[in-house]
Amino acid sequence: MTGRHADPLRALGLAILFCVCILVAALAIGAGTSRLSLVTVCEAIFAFDGSRDHLVVTMLRLPRVLAGAMAGAALAVAGAVMQAATGNPLASPGLLGINAGGAFAVVAAMALQMTGSMGDGNGLIWYAFGGAAIAGFAVHALGSLGPGGPTSLKLVLAGAVVGTFLTSLTAATLIVDQATLEAVRLWTVGSLSGRTMGQVVAVAPYIATGLAAALVLRRQFTTLSLGPNISGALGQSALLWRTISVVIVVLLAGSAVALAGPVGFVGLVMPHIARLTVGADYRWIVPYSAIGGALLLVTADMIGRGLFANQDFPVGVTMALIGAPFFLWLARYRLRSS
Amino acid sequence: MPLNDNEAGSGLRLDKLSLGYGNRMIVEGLDLVIPPQTFTVLLGRNGSGKSTVLRACAGLLKPKAGAVLLDGKPLSRFRARESARRIAILPQGPAAPEGLTVSDLVRQGRYPHRSLFSRWSRADEDAVREALELTGMADLREQPLENLSGGQRQRAWIAMSLAQQTEILLLDEPTTFLDLAHQAEVMSLITTLVKSRNKTVVAVLHDVNQAARHADHIVMFKAGKLVQQGPPNIIMTREHVRRVFDIDPEIVHDAKTNAKFILS
Amino acid sequence: MTSHRLILSAAIMSVPALLLASLALGDQTVSRADLESLVDGSATGQIRMIVLDLRLPRALMALTAGMALGIAGAIAQAVMRNPLAEPGILGINAGAALAGGLVIVSFKGAGAALLPVAGFAGATVMAAAVFALSWRNGTSSLRIVLIGIALGSLAGAGSSFLIAFADVADVQRLMIWLSGSVYAASWETLRLLAAWLVVPVVLACLAVRQLDLMRFGDDVAASLGQRVNLGRAFLILLCTAISGATVAACGLIGFIGLIAPHVARRMVGAGHARLIPASALVGGLLLMAADLIGRTVIAPAQLPAGIVTALIGAPFLGYLLWGRRHAAQ
Repeated sequence: MTGRHADPLRALGLAILFCVCILVAALAIGAGTSRLSLVTVCEAIFAFDGSRDHLVVTMLRLPRVLAGAMAGAALAVAGAVMQAATGNPLASPGLLGINAGGAFAVVAAMALQMTGSMGDGNGLIWYAFGGAAIAGFAVHALGSLGPGGPTSLKLVLAGAVVGTFLTSLTAATLIVDQATLEAVRLWTVGSLSGRTMGQVVAVAPYIATGLAAALVLRRQFTTLSLGPNISGALGQSALLWRTISVVIVVLLAGSAVALAGPVGFVGLVMPHIARLTVGADYRWIVPYSAIGGALLLVTADMIGRGLFANQDFPVGVTMALIGAPFFLWLARYRLRSS
Repeated sequence: MPLNDNEAGSGLRLDKLSLGYGNRMIVEGLDLVIPPQTFTVLLGRNGSGKSTVLRACAGLLKPKAGAVLLDGKPLSRFRARESARRIAILPQGPAAPEGLTVSDLVRQGRYPHRSLFSRWSRADEDAVREALELTGMADLREQPLENLSGGQRQRAWIAMSLAQQTEILLLDEPTTFLDLAHQAEVMSLITTLVKSRNKTVVAVLHDVNQAARHADHIVMFKAGKLVQQGPPNIIMTREHVRRVFDIDPEIVHDAKTNAKFILS
Repeated sequence: MTSHRLILSAAIMSVPALLLASLALGDQTVSRADLESLVDGSATGQIRMIVLDLRLPRALMALTAGMALGIAGAIAQAVMRNPLAEPGILGINAGAALAGGLVIVSFKGAGAALLPVAGFAGATVMAAAVFALSWRNGTSSLRIVLIGIALGSLAGAGSSFLIAFADVADVQRLMIWLSGSVYAASWETLRLLAAWLVVPVVLACLAVRQLDLMRFGDDVAASLGQRVNLGRAFLILLCTAISGATVAACGLIGFIGLIAPHVARRMVGAGHARLIPASALVGGLLLMAADLIGRTVIAPAQLPAGIVTALIGAPFLGYLLWGRRHAAQ
């Protein structure tokens, strides 16, 4: 789909994608140890009658699917914004250590008793923001050292260094603090199980803000993605928009991590799929990434639960199993090596 | 001027050479003989294939069809070290790892001459010393490359290629980022190498006038095809320059140096 | 230059010093008199057990593994042409970890003898896969790194799977092994490790000139007569062999391969003839120190050496790289 006359096509595609997403979400709510029909799911949401089935939907499944959709959308859009701001097709919250930063901050906060359990979404999320922001800065600074500035290779390696460091710190904290280990064992690899409506609601405003900002500003991201020389020549203030990008990314990635733990590949893979489908215009990449990311994560969770017959199967692992082969394909065929 | 067949048998020869990257063909069916012990310059617009041809001559690019022949034998049949002892190439804008001194760099040029267990020999030391003297870098041998000017750095790289002690030297745009004085130095160095050391030098140059002034043999490329070749004062005509570079030049003849200047 | 000589001498002399410290310190201090009693044969059974059965093999293991990691790190940085590279980036460690994890979980305690083999096999399979997949008319540093990350993630997902679902006791053992520890060092494992390492390390020492050339771009190296792709394959294989053997023996210990070459470079310069031995020296010292710290700092609990190296390593690397920030292009 290219060219301006393809716009109606893209809009149609987006609408279809949205409907598919809703459908899959409903299916995901229905899936589980007890298979519930779509009718039951709809009744539970709109005509709640306190029955056991309806309770399962509203207390277990709905929050889980909502969390998945929100985290997926947030991570995908964060990745898209990062790729625009750095001009680097490999930029993503997982690869550049941002997820690891958020995760470590949360674990540290819990271990140091600074906040309550995972249920207390509100306090936790600010630690996730802080961790994500610090990690992001560290990676960018490290990757910019030496000649040539922040090239792909240097950024990726810097991300690996900082990410490994933070993951080790997380592991160290968990080894020393057994109680926290029990509480977050699944979450540390990225998991949606046990999400409550309370957590979802606590995180929702931040994700909503980040997504809204990215959507409203998406035209600017196209200009930003042309690189600092050209966008500067076009009159866009690089500093201002880089800063705005950072704020949006931290907001989105931090929230996603607080909700679902460090889930990798969504932020890398989804924007690329969007770009392959609708071209390089961020007016379309942002919304497609958002809905696509939600769809991707919800589907991954559903597949993981179904395929491995375990409701606790971490979505982070499924995402790695799906995302890594795609990343492999990207690295081998689509990225130009310098 | 047709080349003597005897001369053409030895040295570098391109035989129906076709080169490309992926599915994109750059050069097809090229026949070219590099005249030995002369300074040959490849000229052409960006993308005309001159750098590609140079890289193929060094074996850095495998031909899609045809062959690069060294003494009648295809380059691909030489072992890497063997061909590195016969042909040296200095690619465009080479990058050195940090912290290297001039001497470190030039010593690397001895790689093809040293086997796994050989120690640093007299011959190696002499080659390095000679290379440094030829390029005028002997005083700067302990300097880190980062501290040098562009011209000095380029000469250090040339010294490395010289330490290889090959009969054929290929240079890809050796003067492109140098100021006039340094460019003149490099050109005069090349002329010395050809005249006093009997080397065969092939260079890709951007500057048509430089080529006209210093080259013994010019090969003009356009869109992957060899358009003309010959000595400068014969083929540097208005017609040829117009055809190859798509500009309408003025050719001015300088009586004192017997060279032609192209003004566009 | 003489200040560098001094630092080098100090480093060499630190080895026996650290060794002695490792023997003496711990949750039970062994005094100098006790150590002497070992030499003249009058030591008690307990002293003998602590020093000869526990601490000495452990310290020597740390030294050997550290040296191996230092060498592997120097090779990785030369092949990747990047100062931030380390063997782990090739996904080798993740592959070894997964294989080891599978063994731990499937065979429980009985798997201990299989661990080195599994770890090594995992590492080799991973390295082969990374190289095969990144081959596309030759290789490139960026592609190798990315594919290493991709495959490493897959292996990591497998390990996460194990962590999430295996029996808690196994998971603990797995996490400790994954964190990298010389905790379970014995003379047997030490002998095995040393045996595995002899050939690759010797080959690495012979390949110093290849490593020197590798640092230049592909074009310059090829022009000087190096067979670039073959050279890269060979060197990655070496790096895998060395690193895989270490993971097999000690689990995942990161950052040594990253930092040791940097420190070594400051001491002896960038020529690999000196850099390889110097990296080995620094690596050995670092790991011995890390293990000692891990054993003593939160005694009686133990912090795995791999975590100590990460905790110290990353800021240290940041400091080193900060010093390079004005490097010219």
